[in-house]
Amino acid sequence: MCGIAGIARLEPRGVDLETLGRMAKAIHHRGPDGYGFMTSPHVGFAHVRLSIVDLAGGAQPLASEGGRVVVTFNGEVYNYRELTVELAALGHEFRTHSDTEVLVHAWEEWGPAMFDRLNGQFAVGLFDRATQEVILFRDRFGVRPLFYAQRGGDLYFGSEVKALFATGEIEPAADPLGLDEVFTYWGALPPRTPFKGVQQLPPGHYAVWKDGRLTVKPWYRLDYPEARTEPATAIRELDEIMRSGVAFRLRADVPVGGYLSGGLDSSITCSLAAKASPFALRTFSVAFEDPRFDESAWQNQLAGEIGSHHAVSRITAGQIAADFPDVIRHTETPLLRTAPGPMYRLAKLTRERDIKVVLTGEGADELFLGYDLFKEVAVRLFCARNPASTARPALFNRIYPYLQGANRGGEFWRNFFLDAGTPDDPLFSHLPRFHLTARTKEFYGAAMRDSVGGRDALGELRDALPAAFGSWSPLNRAAWLEMTTLLSPYLLSSQGDRMGMAHAIEGRYPFLDHRLYEFAAALPTSSKLLGLKEKEILRRWARDIVPPAIRTRGKQPYRAPDAPSFFGEGAPAWVAEMLDPERTRALGYFEPAAVDGLVRRARRGAATGFRENQAIVAILSTHLWHERFLHRSLPAPLPAERADVVMHDGATAAR
Amino acid sequence: MTGWTEEQVLAQVRGFIEKEFLYMRPGVALADDDSLMKKGVVDSMGVLEVMQFLTDTFGVTPADDEITEANLGSLRAIARFVVQKLG
Repeated sequence: MCGIAGIARLEPRGVDLETLGRMAKAIHHRGPDGYGFMTSPHVGFAHVRLSIVDLAGGAQPLASEGGRVVVTFNGEVYNYRELTVELAALGHEFRTHSDTEVLVHAWEEWGPAMFDRLNGQFAVGLFDRATQEVILFRDRFGVRPLFYAQRGGDLYFGSEVKALFATGEIEPAADPLGLDEVFTYWGALPPRTPFKGVQQLPPGHYAVWKDGRLTVKPWYRLDYPEARTEPATAIRELDEIMRSGVAFRLRADVPVGGYLSGGLDSSITCSLAAKASPFALRTFSVAFEDPRFDESAWQNQLAGEIGSHHAVSRITAGQIAADFPDVIRHTETPLLRTAPGPMYRLAKLTRERDIKVVLTGEGADELFLGYDLFKEVAVRLFCARNPASTARPALFNRIYPYLQGANRGGEFWRNFFLDAGTPDDPLFSHLPRFHLTARTKEFYGAAMRDSVGGRDALGELRDALPAAFGSWSPLNRAAWLEMTTLLSPYLLSSQGDRMGMAHAIEGRYPFLDHRLYEFAAALPTSSKLLGLKEKEILRRWARDIVPPAIRTRGKQPYRAPDAPSFFGEGAPAWVAEMLDPERTRALGYFEPAAVDGLVRRARRGAATGFRENQAIVAILSTHLWHERFLHRSLPAPLPAERADVVMHDGATAAR
Repeated sequence: MTGWTEEQVLAQVRGFIEKEFLYMRPGVALADDDSLMKKGVVDSMGVLEVMQFLTDTFGVTPADDEITEANLGSLRAIARFVVQKLG
């Protein structure tokens, strides 16, 4: 896995190696094993490499045998062996054993129809010299990132935004509307980003640049063709997809490890991987000092059962605060939770143990309705059908057994859900979360308030829903919203790709195999959420795979300590700097008096609710983000003379 | 008798709520009968803080079955509840 970057110019003035070298330098952490460049009059590509498949032959950029198509590629195409056989039978000559080469031949053979044939996680730049087109495409669910910007007909793209700024040709600036989406959904919704003029290619989309014009189109759409009853073959089909999905994701020329949270999903992926792997699997977990967040007992139990070599990263509140500035350097967005921090530490530990690739359980909760949010929807709908019932709201108490005191069971708490919106609102399922997150906006400063104006982020989302949305069941609508507003824009990026890549760790997601998504989307919802029992079919199927204690335990959401990390003894000096009223006033995102009130409460340990916790993280991360990114600074380029590949389009250049 | 009138309790509670829960929204007007929950002033964690304040200030600790909108849902409701408990 790797990092990619490139420029396409309207005028044939070339892309110099120094500029490409600076782009590569900005994302060198993603691929420390090597790098390469391609230049031509209109187009330049850069690539930084993390060697995983075909260690000897996989250097990039890579061209097809005749030189027509050049590729710079981040990610994996798991079914590359099958596609190689198919393309070779069609007359294509292969010079390497890498999944990269499949892409250039597949483009020559099938054009955009190739995307549907790929099973994998990828962000790709292709240059087709025959048509003088640059094509960017991204995997179905947005596992791998891809950003771009345009200026005067020129196109700039990269795995991370910092590669675009490293050209010196794109000026960094904040987009208040992008920030406003972060403070609504936890992440800006593609194509928007927190940066003005910088876009992210939405998952399942491709873009074609030709003669200075960029056209963006979808190639994959989420759909929920829900069956009335569960097919008799469902368990067998699930078994086949899961086993082949894990086997695909063990394809690598380096050892593959596993992240183990202690929950059902990663227990499944690690168990299957341990069985399929010729060596003892290496597994990695985070553990917390605070027992409310800690799942060590479950992790140790599973590691013992599958005989893995297990390593644990013990997370302290002090580490979360100490790492936070670097976490923001990698997320490239403000945050509302510190949860990426422990993932950053986990990737560091994994790298220190010489593992570059890990399987994780991400995606199962979205596909099989595992989150508490889906249960909330079920209970809220149940209550809405008989508003007079006093017994029905008591079901909320069963969803959150880990919450304590008046935070559970009280009338206030139940009303938080019951008052959040009516079932005729298409965003019904997510309104409690969206409204709670949006409370951060109460801290906006006057400048931010003016920039956002009367903008209604939720209204824009309602207007952008797909045509089929209304035909899906309420739980499938909730699943779509979860995939679209949280999985890709936040979980797979800020907690996933970015934290892994900070330490050159590639995450692989067996539950995000598109065959599994399509299987799950076609199941009746009762196969997924039965009463208040989540992931029902997955538990039924996993009977012979994970120990009963883990299979039957309830879901514990992954959380990390937020506000307490930044206050009290041992708090890093930058916290006070970032909360300084003069800074708050000068930056203008938040209101100094409001920030002061929050800090006063946080210092005496009173800011314990969701609202104030998220506001503290939002304010600190926004100010860190501003300091890190909104100043022009050009990195020293990676030198071309030390590159593995420097490809020149000589013939064209001589013209 | 402790000597607190309903209006005195109400003024104390208002001061507390404005300082601790409305510091980020100084322009928001809060009427005595406004729902603290529906106006988004107090959330479920906030209820714990209000309860602690009632204990510290008036020596009144609501029992679990007294944590209701009727008793704690507005400034006026809280004031009545406290006076009734003290009486």
